Amino acid sequence: MSAVRDQPVWRITRGEAGYPAALLDLGDDAPNALHGCGSQRLVHELDRESTVTIVGSRHPSAYGLEVAEELGHLLGAAGLVVVSGMALGIDAAVHRGVLAGNGATVAVLGGGPDFIYPRSERQLYERVVAKGAVVSEVPPGTAPGPGCFPKRNRIMAALATMTIVVEAAEPSGSLITTRWAYKLGRDVGAVPGRVTSRVARGTNGLLADGAAVVRDAQDVLDLLLGVGVTDTRREGPPLEPELTRVADAVDGGAATPDGVAGAAGVEASEAAVALARLELMGYVRVDGAGRYERTALSAPGE
Amino acid sequence: MLATARTFSLLGIEVREVEVEVDVCNYGLKTFSLVGLPDTAVRESRERVRAALENSGFDYPQHRITANLAPADLPKAGPSFDLAIAAGLLGASKQLKPEQLAGVMLAGELALDGSIRPVPGALAMAEAARSLEARAIAVPVANAAEAALVQGVRVVPLERLEQLKQLGTDEEPAPPEAFELSLNGAAPTGSDLADLRGQPYLRDALEIAAAGGHSLLIIGPPGAGKSLAARRLPSILPPLTRSDAMEVLRVASACGFLSRGHLAVRRPFRAPHHTISTAGLVGGGSPPRPGEVTLAHRGVLFLDELGEFTREALEALRQPLEEGRVAITRARGAVELPCRFMLVAASNPCPCGRGEESGECECRPASARRYRAKLSGALADRIDISVAVDRPTAKEMGAGRGVDSASVRARVVAARERQELRLGAGRCNADMDLAELRSAAQLSREARRTLARGHAQLGLSGRGYDRVLRVSRTIADLAEAERVEAEHVARAISLRRRGNE
Repeated sequence: MSAVRDQPVWRITRGEAGYPAALLDLGDDAPNALHGCGSQRLVHELDRESTVTIVGSRHPSAYGLEVAEELGHLLGAAGLVVVSGMALGIDAAVHRGVLAGNGATVAVLGGGPDFIYPRSERQLYERVVAKGAVVSEVPPGTAPGPGCFPKRNRIMAALATMTIVVEAAEPSGSLITTRWAYKLGRDVGAVPGRVTSRVARGTNGLLADGAAVVRDAQDVLDLLLGVGVTDTRREGPPLEPELTRVADAVDGGAATPDGVAGAAGVEASEAAVALARLELMGYVRVDGAGRYERTALSAPGE
Repeated sequence: MLATARTFSLLGIEVREVEVEVDVCNYGLKTFSLVGLPDTAVRESRERVRAALENSGFDYPQHRITANLAPADLPKAGPSFDLAIAAGLLGASKQLKPEQLAGVMLAGELALDGSIRPVPGALAMAEAARSLEARAIAVPVANAAEAALVQGVRVVPLERLEQLKQLGTDEEPAPPEAFELSLNGAAPTGSDLADLRGQPYLRDALEIAAAGGHSLLIIGPPGAGKSLAARRLPSILPPLTRSDAMEVLRVASACGFLSRGHLAVRRPFRAPHHTISTAGLVGGGSPPRPGEVTLAHRGVLFLDELGEFTREALEALRQPLEEGRVAITRARGAVELPCRFMLVAASNPCPCGRGEESGECECRPASARRYRAKLSGALADRIDISVAVDRPTAKEMGAGRGVDSASVRARVVAARERQELRLGAGRCNADMDLAELRSAAQLSREARRTLARGHAQLGLSGRGYDRVLRVSRTIADLAEAERVEAEHVARAISLRRRGNE
């Protein structure tokens, strides 16, 4: 199958009505035209104040993927337009989250708006085009080349009032996006990660440099809309003390039943039972390699 | 003058009778022709036979010699025909009396100096000789012990070619001492489970896998003790029964592993490298030779780095895993090889081995994803238990030795006995069919509810559901419980195989 999708492409040139005003902040660097697929209206009505950009590593941890999807889901559901780059990893997870929450999302591509890249995200591409919009500054049919993506990042930074990085190594494309955001006077937020993690080095660095701490969607809403506008935390069923201990052990980084048993001070078979119960309640999840992680679900009173 | 000697041809692990007809013609040129589909090793037998005869004080007939290996359409391979060809030639040249060769089966490879070298498959040959009601079977000394395992046929151990003269006389070499297999109460052999430090969950998983005969996948970074654990699995499996032990020995004999004289009866442990060919894994070639799955019969087949095996090799494992035998079909008939083994596989969490969560992983996202997809696709519907492990902590490494194999094995044996009561002798939970599984499950109400939640919450597939049920039955058997309780189901859920994210 060809990477170029046969479908109508629209175009807005600079100076035309409907050209996103936020892009003009780029001055001479503002793109001369935007080519797009999907909802033209969504792009016309883009309002910087209610738009966030979420980007991150193409090689995230399962933790990063979960946070990205959750942020996309809740911020989209809260009515913000979520911009990202449809790259593998964090970007794709963000779009997925927004779509799952029936929110509005815009993908800014490095190649032409009808050029599906990465190819493996064809399905996601179709869904974003159907429910949101895909835009690019390069004409239809162009394959993304080296240099396209760093240039594309300035558009993502300019469109939103805040750029949030979920996970980024150092150096990384996401950090280029934040540099543009700083240059344009936009807010920058970062999700804290483990200090030993390679993909948290960039984000923790941003936090050290004064970026806003993003622990959950509520933090973002507090920053953008004022404290306490909506509550986005999700609570699960109540936990017995032993389950709480096991859940805390997983929180603390124990990923295998053996590790959990050691950290929570229970027998391996008890740990296995507790983990299965927590998984059934939705407090922990398992990846393909059988390793456990806490989900964003919080226990009552936590 | 015509004479006949009888021998066997090895096909897989079975043997077929072959008659060697030798004719020495008193006129014509001095030639030696060998017919009846011999392969190169058999054809070269002519040179070995000539030299061995001359060096053993026999006369080599200076006339036209024809040897026919019947049935003529069965391909013959290997050097084990030497002894029978030499005996036939001696009979045809009147250096042995016809009655000396009557009712005797012969197998052996000749050295040029007339000594007799061991051959593969002597055990199966002795069994075949018994069912053919032969008077005796003459085998190389090195194969005598394995042949003597078969009761009811006289085994004549031969060291040198000139001993053929003693056949049927009072000087005929005496059969070796009958060898008794010591099986019952045999202590576990090989490395002990006590060497495994810490990692109680991994131990539990090994015990459950052994108790139910479930195949097992261990995922963890290098140094997490994956192979260490797998190598100790045979030591906690129940002792072999006599008939199982004979099956193990028959395979070992056919592969020539017994000719060095030691007949250790233990469950085999095979760990083929991931570069192995499909034929090497499941058997193949012409004539068909047993593959690793057959060598692991009644024991453990360990596939380290499961994700690195070729797709073809893993696909080829499906039928053996399901049916417990491999059929190798060749133009000249099929050979069936037994392969009831326990599968243990191990894998790194990603191509670089560090694991994505470690934060040090350097794999490219696409390659890591391909690796995981291959891993979760590989034999996905054949692996019952999957367990993630980490490197043991310093504290665990420093702790004393864990529980030893003997005590774990006692629990495994007890659990197997419960299964045999339910399913019949020699069977275990891993080979229950669906109807048996449904009736054996005996779920308590709580257990039923836990399973239902698992189905709804975790998206267990139908197969995944059955596997959880199967493993929880084994966990209940280990706990000596009649009914499967919620706790057993929960443990089985934590041991389940995860699909691709």
